Amino acid sequence: MSQKISVRIDGQLCTAEAGQTIYQVAQAAGRHIPALCHMEGLSSAGSCRLCLVQVEGLGRLLPACTTPARDGMAVTTQSETLAHNRRMALELLFSERNHICAVCVSNGHCELQALACELGVTSVRFPYNYPRLPVDASHPRFVLDHNRCVLCTRCVRVCDEIEGAHVWDIAGRGIASMLVCELDRPWGEAESCTGCGKCVQVCPTGALVEKGRAVEEMTKRRGPVLHLAERKEARP
Amino acid sequence: MSRIRDLSTFNAVRTAGLAKLLPARPRIAVGMGTCGAGNGAEGVFNALADAIHARGLDVSLVRTGCFGFCAEEPLVNVWIPGMPLVILHRVRAEQTGQILDGLAAHVVPETLALCKIESWDHLTGQISYGHGFPSIPNWNEISFFQGQVKVVMRDCGLINPDDVEEYIAVGGYQALYKVLIDGMPELAIEQIKASRLRGRGGAGFSTGAKLEFLHKARGERKFLICNADEGDPGAYMNRNEIEGDPHALLEGMTIGGYLTGATQGIIYVRAEYPLAVQRLNAALATARDYGLLGKDILGRGFDFDIQLVEGAGAFVCGEETALIASLEGRAGRPRPRPPFPAERGLWGCPTDINNVETWFNIAPIIARGPAWFTEMGSNKSAGTKVISLVGKVRNTGLVEFPLGTPLAKYIYDAGGGPMPGHVVKAVQTGGPSGGCIPREMLDTPVDYETLGKLGAIMGSGGMVVMDDDNCMVDVARYFIAFTRSESCGKCTPCRVGLDKALRTLTRITRGEGREEDLAALDELGRMIQATSLCGLGQSAPNSMLTALRHFRDEFEDHIRAHRCHAGVCQDLALSPCENTCPLHMNIPRFLELYREGRLAEAFDSVIMDNPLPASTGRVCQHPCDSRCRRKGTDEAVNMREVHRVIADAVLLGDAFEESVARILARKLPATGKKIAVVGAGPTGLTAAFYLALLGHAVTVLEQRPEPGGMLRYALPEYRLPKAVLDREVEIIRRLGVGFTFDTSVGKTTTLNDLEAAYDAVFLSIGTWKESHVYVPGTELSGVWPALTFLEDVACDKPLDLGSHVVVIGGGNAAIDCARTVVRKGAAATVVYRRERKDMPAIVEEVAEAEQEGVQFRFLASPHRITGEHGTVKAIEVLKTRLGEFDASGRRRPIDTDEVRVVPCSAVILAVGEDVDRDFYAGSGLTIKESGILEADRYTLETSRHNFYAGGDLIAGASNVSNAMSYGKNAARNIDERLTGEKRFDSIMPSFAYDQTVPAPPSTARRHHATPAPAATRAQTFEEVMPALIPEEACEEAARCLRCDIREPIHAAQN
Amino acid sequence: MSATTSPGTPPRVRLATMWLDGCSGCHMSLLDIDEALVAVAPRIEMVYGPLVDAQEFPENVDVTLIEGAVSNHDDLEHVRTARARSRLLVALGDCAVTSNVPSMRNRWPVKNLLETIYVAGTDTGRLVPTEGVPPLLKKSVPLHDIVKIDLHVPGCPPAAPVILFTLTALLDGHMPDFTDPCVVSKVRFG
Repeated sequence: MSQKISVRIDGQLCTAEAGQTIYQVAQAAGRHIPALCHMEGLSSAGSCRLCLVQVEGLGRLLPACTTPARDGMAVTTQSETLAHNRRMALELLFSERNHICAVCVSNGHCELQALACELGVTSVRFPYNYPRLPVDASHPRFVLDHNRCVLCTRCVRVCDEIEGAHVWDIAGRGIASMLVCELDRPWGEAESCTGCGKCVQVCPTGALVEKGRAVEEMTKRRGPVLHLAERKEARP
Repeated sequence: MSRIRDLSTFNAVRTAGLAKLLPARPRIAVGMGTCGAGNGAEGVFNALADAIHARGLDVSLVRTGCFGFCAEEPLVNVWIPGMPLVILHRVRAEQTGQILDGLAAHVVPETLALCKIESWDHLTGQISYGHGFPSIPNWNEISFFQGQVKVVMRDCGLINPDDVEEYIAVGGYQALYKVLIDGMPELAIEQIKASRLRGRGGAGFSTGAKLEFLHKARGERKFLICNADEGDPGAYMNRNEIEGDPHALLEGMTIGGYLTGATQGIIYVRAEYPLAVQRLNAALATARDYGLLGKDILGRGFDFDIQLVEGAGAFVCGEETALIASLEGRAGRPRPRPPFPAERGLWGCPTDINNVETWFNIAPIIARGPAWFTEMGSNKSAGTKVISLVGKVRNTGLVEFPLGTPLAKYIYDAGGGPMPGHVVKAVQTGGPSGGCIPREMLDTPVDYETLGKLGAIMGSGGMVVMDDDNCMVDVARYFIAFTRSESCGKCTPCRVGLDKALRTLTRITRGEGREEDLAALDELGRMIQATSLCGLGQSAPNSMLTALRHFRDEFEDHIRAHRCHAGVCQDLALSPCENTCPLHMNIPRFLELYREGRLAEAFDSVIMDNPLPASTGRVCQHPCDSRCRRKGTDEAVNMREVHRVIADAVLLGDAFEESVARILARKLPATGKKIAVVGAGPTGLTAAFYLALLGHAVTVLEQRPEPGGMLRYALPEYRLPKAVLDREVEIIRRLGVGFTFDTSVGKTTTLNDLEAAYDAVFLSIGTWKESHVYVPGTELSGVWPALTFLEDVACDKPLDLGSHVVVIGGGNAAIDCARTVVRKGAAATVVYRRERKDMPAIVEEVAEAEQEGVQFRFLASPHRITGEHGTVKAIEVLKTRLGEFDASGRRRPIDTDEVRVVPCSAVILAVGEDVDRDFYAGSGLTIKESGILEADRYTLETSRHNFYAGGDLIAGASNVSNAMSYGKNAARNIDERLTGEKRFDSIMPSFAYDQTVPAPPSTARRHHATPAPAATRAQTFEEVMPALIPEEACEEAARCLRCDIREPIHAAQN
Repeated sequence: MSATTSPGTPPRVRLATMWLDGCSGCHMSLLDIDEALVAVAPRIEMVYGPLVDAQEFPENVDVTLIEGAVSNHDDLEHVRTARARSRLLVALGDCAVTSNVPSMRNRWPVKNLLETIYVAGTDTGRLVPTEGVPPLLKKSVPLHDIVKIDLHVPGCPPAAPVILFTLTALLDGHMPDFTDPCVVSKVRFG
């Protein structure tokens, strides 16, 4: 594991360990790559497509979060094309469901909102879908608001990989994909849920939140999850 | 049944198989793939079995797969010892007796015979059937099979797929035996690499390289997977391959297992292919029994087994990582690569996934060597590819050509060309991930690189042919709807992007599209391509993007003109007839008003849609007939004739004055705007009619002494009596339109003069100049251009035609000339370079001309005109043959060396007309490269401010109704531009009339107008075609099925 | 109402504001730029909007700031008029940019919505009002769904410094650059 490789990120020569992803190498080198589904401590899904980067000599864009860095690789993480694609992906996410930041408990603490700000998305050119989606408030302490869900599957992964309960999964396909609790039952009736709240803390938006929070009040605590992930990683 | 342990047991099985394939008694094999079964093969098989049993015949009866010509199923192979194998087609159960009757006498029913096979190269073995039946064509002599090379389908339709002995008899499992005996997997991999075989699932990666990866990969277990999850709409080659020859797949995979060190193979097959699943299961069981699978294969100590897994039919599971997820029991969603399956695949083990067809190619390559394989196909794409050819062609089925064969060969040779009366518009390759290639590019070779460059892909081999009945916007919408619903939803661009694309496309098909939609779709499509996680999303926009690239006009028609010319998008049309009518007349309305006995209102409805109703009622090409849904029951409603009856009854009857008064009452108050219309032909007259109604002061400038243009000077009196035209012009005059005759723009007046005197100018000059033809001898006396001839006749000029006139051409002008010649007392022969069915002239006119004694000589083109003393004596014509299909969808005539001399006294050249463009010079108008005046397709604005153009000037020579449609559009646009308001529809009348669908519909047959007897009518210029009598017309109107009435579907949605 | 210009000073920018389906918070935020108003005011001629007394939307407007979503037929007409008569159209605030809170009704058919509120939800009247109120559109939509918008300024409401930054840039004759460090974190939805 300790084999050293060198990778060029946006022209900057970086030393990394074999097996590290492009994302990890860039982060270590202080290069920020926008990402939504990726979260440190969890496996990578490569699904939000925000972290796509250009690798020299390859025609296709590759997700930084899942692509292992290779010795001699030259990576571009910022370009007009990449920014264009990232902005458009955000616009697609905003118009897919009902993200009404002004009345969201996560307003001001939302990764989707922050990404729009970071990438300069000031409007969404696509017509909004305005789907009619349910809010599951059956759990005594938490709420699942599908209107704010971006299907990043962080909750699915944290519950499976860290908590080991696998309460969450994605049902359906395409635009009809929905986060489901167990075999699609109300959260409050879930038998496998331990109520640990990790899913809530890793959720990047206001989809999984604590009950009783008013607008702008929902801040998330990632620390405990990261800590557990590190402990898990360190286990022989 | 015996387990094969060594060569002698192998050969024993082979001998047993041969005895089944070529028994000492007749053998009948019924094609029972899914395509055969769907066409009644089961019934044929049972009937044969019963009859053989009842008659006590000594005949071997077996089932086989499909030989590829699916449209001709059920196919039945009949083999009589010593004779060729005869393939009978479209066999019905009741014909089985006929087949059995002849067996004893060594005859087959030739009426049922499609083709014969004397010997067959199974690639791994040869079969000789015998000789005979000289009147039946060889299989590769019939157009569908001509040029096909059956590598993948080498056994399909010939052997019994359920009998491994027959497969071994034609050389099956020899290649497996060979690699096992050779014991050098690396060498065999080198051979496959050298063959340049590429993945037949569509990605086109080198199969040899993939096998090598797996061979070199380290792992305790390795897997081989066959992807038989064929899910493209319109593609079914894998299904037929498995159904016809399952052991070829097993052998290919087993060889692959030995080469790579994999011990387990998995076939992932669609659960929707029950027959393929059944045959595979049977084949797996027999292969294990015979020692061809499982432990110690062929006694060579090699272990390999294959498991069958049925996929639930998710399109995305064709993607290898999603397929693996599905095999592992998870939802079929892909994951990013790397790692590639060759490193970490099924259960984390090294895995190689190939398409069915790729595996089919392995055994022949091992048996015949790589050089044999690379001889077929193009440089980078070796071998053959099975394509399922479906859609709007005459022959559909599975076609196996070497790679690199041009698309045109698939469509026009194997496919037999377009359906009668249609032209191919585009071909869609590669299923929903593929792209649309327009007709103009059908010389494109089918291989991985070329199709990729065009934005299409080869994919797994689906080929859907589309014709003028297909709307490309709807096609794009269909494929996006498919990929949207098959998207797994994992990644953002595919999940949400395709949904947005579908919403936009749907909006366009409803006529609610916006100008900026096209650029937005293009941008979105490219983003989805570039950023999606797997092949589904990366290729999903292909069909939309290629349609946008090659058929932008159609998208613009939907958005800007709210028109779908294919008549597919129902929200954009009132009814099929209205949609096809260049003037978009509300045909169901006037039919119904007339049926209800409301003649005056029917007339108002007609004339407000079409200001020259009596003329068009006689000479319109009536495209409405071609789309009439009544054709599905019996014949189209004779709309043009009812239209004529209505127009004649008012224009030539007593109600003329009151009708004129009603029209004048619709006129809007004077606007004070002055408009010049240049040209008093149908385009100009139409524009003048509407502009006057809209309250403008209109002046028509015409270079001839009377109005009507072609209607007056080119259409002979027997088709359109000038008295009729005069009545129509009378109405236009009464609307206040002024006419200035003998005025020619560019000669007596200039565009600058017009600009100074008028607020807007509409240029509607006709095609009066003859196209150039390069025929030596046109300088001779007795040679006329058609329009000059017709005009001279119309103006009663004396002509010396002599006794026999040859007319060159196949359009309406040619027929008009010929019939006029007959009326002038001379004989007429029409010479046309194509076939009769390709003539652009109205079919009825051609028939009537023939009745009047006009002779036709088809497939002949003028070579030179010879003369004596400066006068025509004869014309030499070259015989032509028909070549490739050209852009018009007709076969291109090619001159041969064969010269025929046709003696004649005069020659009329009716080979097309052109606009006299002399006035362009210094006019400030932009002329396109083609020589045609540049004008906006929708607003008809030219490059010069306040100048508009329409008709022949911008569209080239056309017909009356098309020409008039430009006049109508011009009036709408000029008025909107001058007044800033949309006022056109406000002059249109509205009527309350019955809105119920006739149930049941009238059973009356189509009424045809009957022309006067040929012998008498050919003597005079009296009108040939009398109108229907009112009772007939009323009955005809009642035949309408009222497609204009809709159930309120959309109201219920949303 | 022509602008009074003295020789040597550039002509004042003709500015209009418009209030469609929104809460007026964006207009409040505009006033929240406080003392900066003093600096901006001399360069502006306010020709239309809830802050001035003008009955009709004038011709030849340089910049129009629109707050609120397009929710009814009147909004539709107003935004089209504004587009036809303005050189630059700015969507000010989330309602104008995304339709924001007004869009929360879009998931239900208008008819159900009105009946729930005016018939089922009340004891008096029990009648959907039709007189004197413009009919609602099927959906409440952002401005750019109807007309071309030249600049989007998100926020609910946009922070006063963002509005000032925008106004200053426009008065200086260029588009604001929202990646400028002094506003970048303030230009956001919500």
